[in-house]
Amino acid sequence: MASVVQLPIVPPPLPAGWTPPQGSGKSTAPLVERKLLPVGEAYLAHVRRAVHKLTFEEHDKHTEEERKRLEALNGAGASVEDDLGVGDEEETEDLLLLDAKEWKKQDHYAVLGLSHLRYRATEEQIKIAHRKKVLKHHPDKKAGQVGDSNDDAFFKCIQKAFEVLTNPERRRQFDSVDPYYDMLEGDVPTASQVQKAKNPEKYFFEAFGPVFEREARFSKKQPVPGLGSYNDSKENVEAFYDFWYNFDSWRSFEYLDKEVNEGSDNRDDKRYTEKKNKSERARRKKEDTARLRGIVDTALASDPRIKRIKQEEKEAREAKKKNKGGVNGAGANSKQKEEEEKRKAEEDAKKKEEEEKIARAEAKKAKAAAANAAKKARRQQRAAETGEVA
Amino acid sequence: MAQPNGTAEAPIEVSSLPTVVGINFGNSYASIAVLTKEGSADCIANEDGERQIACAISFHGEELYIGNQAKHQLVKNSQNTITGFRNLLGKKFSEIPANTLSVSAPVIQHPEVADEPAYKVKVLQASPSPLPRTATNTPAASAAVTPRSEPVQVERVLTVSEVTTIFLQSLIKSAEDFLGKKVQGAVISVPSWFEPVQKDALEKAASDAGITVLQLLEEAGAAAVTTTSGPQPEGLSADRTQLLVDLGASALSLSLLSIRHGLVHSLATLSDHSVGGDALDDKLIKHFAKEFTKKTKVPLTVCPATDTQDKRAEAKLRLALEHTKRTISASPGAATCSVESLKDGIDFTGTITRLRFDMEVRAIYDRVYEKVKELVSAAGLDLYDVDEIVYVGGSASLPGLDETLSQGFPETIVTPFTQGTVVGGGIGDPTTILSRGCALQARILAQLAEGTEEEREVKASFTHGHQYTQAKVTSKTVGFLFPEENAESALGGQWIPAVIKETPVPARRIIAFDVDLGEGEGEKRVGFEVWEAHEGVKIEKVKLPKLEDEEPVEGEEEEEEEEEEVKEKTVEKENLLASLSFVAKQATKKKGARWTTRLEVTTIVDENGALEISAAEIGASGKGEKTTVTVAAA
Repeated sequence: MASVVQLPIVPPPLPAGWTPPQGSGKSTAPLVERKLLPVGEAYLAHVRRAVHKLTFEEHDKHTEEERKRLEALNGAGASVEDDLGVGDEEETEDLLLLDAKEWKKQDHYAVLGLSHLRYRATEEQIKIAHRKKVLKHHPDKKAGQVGDSNDDAFFKCIQKAFEVLTNPERRRQFDSVDPYYDMLEGDVPTASQVQKAKNPEKYFFEAFGPVFEREARFSKKQPVPGLGSYNDSKENVEAFYDFWYNFDSWRSFEYLDKEVNEGSDNRDDKRYTEKKNKSERARRKKEDTARLRGIVDTALASDPRIKRIKQEEKEAREAKKKNKGGVNGAGANSKQKEEEEKRKAEEDAKKKEEEEKIARAEAKKAKAAAANAAKKARRQQRAAETGEVA
Repeated sequence: MAQPNGTAEAPIEVSSLPTVVGINFGNSYASIAVLTKEGSADCIANEDGERQIACAISFHGEELYIGNQAKHQLVKNSQNTITGFRNLLGKKFSEIPANTLSVSAPVIQHPEVADEPAYKVKVLQASPSPLPRTATNTPAASAAVTPRSEPVQVERVLTVSEVTTIFLQSLIKSAEDFLGKKVQGAVISVPSWFEPVQKDALEKAASDAGITVLQLLEEAGAAAVTTTSGPQPEGLSADRTQLLVDLGASALSLSLLSIRHGLVHSLATLSDHSVGGDALDDKLIKHFAKEFTKKTKVPLTVCPATDTQDKRAEAKLRLALEHTKRTISASPGAATCSVESLKDGIDFTGTITRLRFDMEVRAIYDRVYEKVKELVSAAGLDLYDVDEIVYVGGSASLPGLDETLSQGFPETIVTPFTQGTVVGGGIGDPTTILSRGCALQARILAQLAEGTEEEREVKASFTHGHQYTQAKVTSKTVGFLFPEENAESALGGQWIPAVIKETPVPARRIIAFDVDLGEGEGEKRVGFEVWEAHEGVKIEKVKLPKLEDEEPVEGEEEEEEEEEEVKEKTVEKENLLASLSFVAKQATKKKGARWTTRLEVTTIVDENGALEISAAEIGASGKGEKTTVTVAAA
């Protein structure tokens, strides 16, 4: 950078009668030879100007560019300690009023100021965030401040949150039931919403994109295929639904377990709670699987791409038919036709399978209903019989 | 569990510092500096916790001591201890002055290589491994005598280069232990009087030690790098004349440097091997030896000592003095010097105050002052032309030296002592300044690219005596004169120097300042003349006023009035080059104040000496119109 020397000198105003004297026409004094010591940045700049034949302005521009490049490389100034993008989140009033005893109900990410990262936060980031919060809320810092100096409730919350989030097992359990996403989970678009939308195609991707992105975090297999866009190929779309129908989730619900009463001497009591917790977990897991399946079903049902693909296939078939009617189109298209037929057969099979599945389920339902009805009928009969006897 | 929580994006890569070090390799002491995260350089301590590592290696039995541990071997094992080897690098045996007094292993002629200096030390060779056994597990038949199973004493001959290699290796090892990484390159300091042969010898010794030498940097350059990088000390401009006083253990070297916006060239240099820390030691050893004899009635002749007992006592005192000198430098109180069993089993403890210390070594201080005056006058300057003094070397940390030197300089002189940066590893710490400079230089060199021909040329320009180190400098100061009515000064206005003399060309100076435009309304003009000026120092003899209470002694002749020299910097106009005048459009007026405008004047001197001066106003709306004049070169 061009260094500007700021002088504190203030020259006086010009005398009234001053006119700029003509230059005497003399030239500057002759130069003298000296030997520079090859040291320092200034010498480097001097040599660069000489080697690359730059003027001062050009060199300024170069150094500025170089500086910017280095800055971009090093992030915003290497001198500031890198907090890995944790940042500083202000606590809300509600958060500060949290009770450490109720730690199961608190949002650990919000407590540590990581609500913008959540499950994406790395261990390093959690450590940094924890240090930041502790520096701010440690009871030692509050000593001498107005108010209750014994108020370390929020500090305890911070410690609890850190404890949970630094243990991978417990963190996974908490991530499974992260309250922030729980709220969002209730808000899944329905098929009718998609249909009613002004631009259903656009709406579909806008509405379902974030839903699938959210659910992707539970997958044991990573990376997870995204919803994609309207113009995706048939293979991509199929791969997408294939993945989501076979979704392998690590989500678990231990976090919501009822506390086993440790103090109780009653073994049966404990076993009972444990058993109940276990069944509750299983139920929740089942519900969750069903929920996800429901989302995928809805998506599949209202996916504009499926419609488009079907339409395209139909057109292709028709085109083929037309070609068949033509003189020599059959030969050229035979391979393509074969392939298409094959695909069609596959699809049919799949459809059939699905239909069968549904039919089976329905049959099961019907069977159950029939059984129920039979039972009812028998009961009624028995009741009638006993009535008669009486 | 397979990736339960996903991963955040990889963190941004924080700039990785090149693992380069700076080594100050003196004749008596060395130091190592590394780069810190903040971009500055820091002198590090070796495994012994020493920042000042003695240049000594010592063989004792099977052991090899390096550094300060080796120095302690000078007491009992001086014949196997090697010191002062740096100055012998690259020299022939015949060039080394014979019969110099040596406290360590003497320099001898190498038994095999002609005219090569070497050291002969006695070491214990590790016991040989047992003879190889045959298949039947009995010793193989051999005509040789069965080797002894204990270490054998052998004589080992080491060349100066080998000694240097061993020493440098240990330095690099210390740095690597500190950094935890392999050192990729190093800049090593060399004295300015080193000849190319000696530089080559040092470079070879360093490469034998496995060091990539980025540059052999002159000591003056290393000090200049340290003082020009980092924040500028208060009261100094980027264009200044710097006096470098390097008072090491074995020599004094002085340089007068002209620093022009970071570009450094030497105006004059001078070195004197007769003064140094060792000379200081000699004076103090004599002092303490006298005290010892007075206290205990045990005769002790030192400097030079002839008796073995006395020699040992001297070596012990010399080691203990190190501590005494450091205490004197660091604290204003008294310092102790204590030696157990100095002679005949009698312990010695003595104290010395700073005042006494300065008295003892006054002769050396005065000699340094003499040399400084000699140097400055050799450069055709006056002491008043020096803006800054920089001290280098352990002995230069003594406050007494600074006090002695400052008396001849103007009161505005900036020294590390006036800045308070000597103690606590500050920027002006004389003991670490060279190594830090080397480290900073190493960083610059490590970052140079080598992709294109031009980039290689830039890199090559750092080698010794490259064509780019030849530069032309201006010989006269160019400045602006703002004429003033009824000016008090002889110049007739306000003088602002722009490009002072000894500035390497091409150069550019940008200065910004406020200009007073008077009180009146109406059109306001800014104008100034560009002059070449002659700067000098006016020396006036002023008669000191006689002290009133001093009564003249009767009968004595009228005493001659005392005179004192009063110096003053002067500027004389010499050559009117051009003038500049334009209408100020962005003048502002603060309430109750006069009209002012801010001016930015850029002066560019091209490689032939031609001047281009352009002035522009800086107002709230940015830079105003430029007005430019040019002056042709001679």
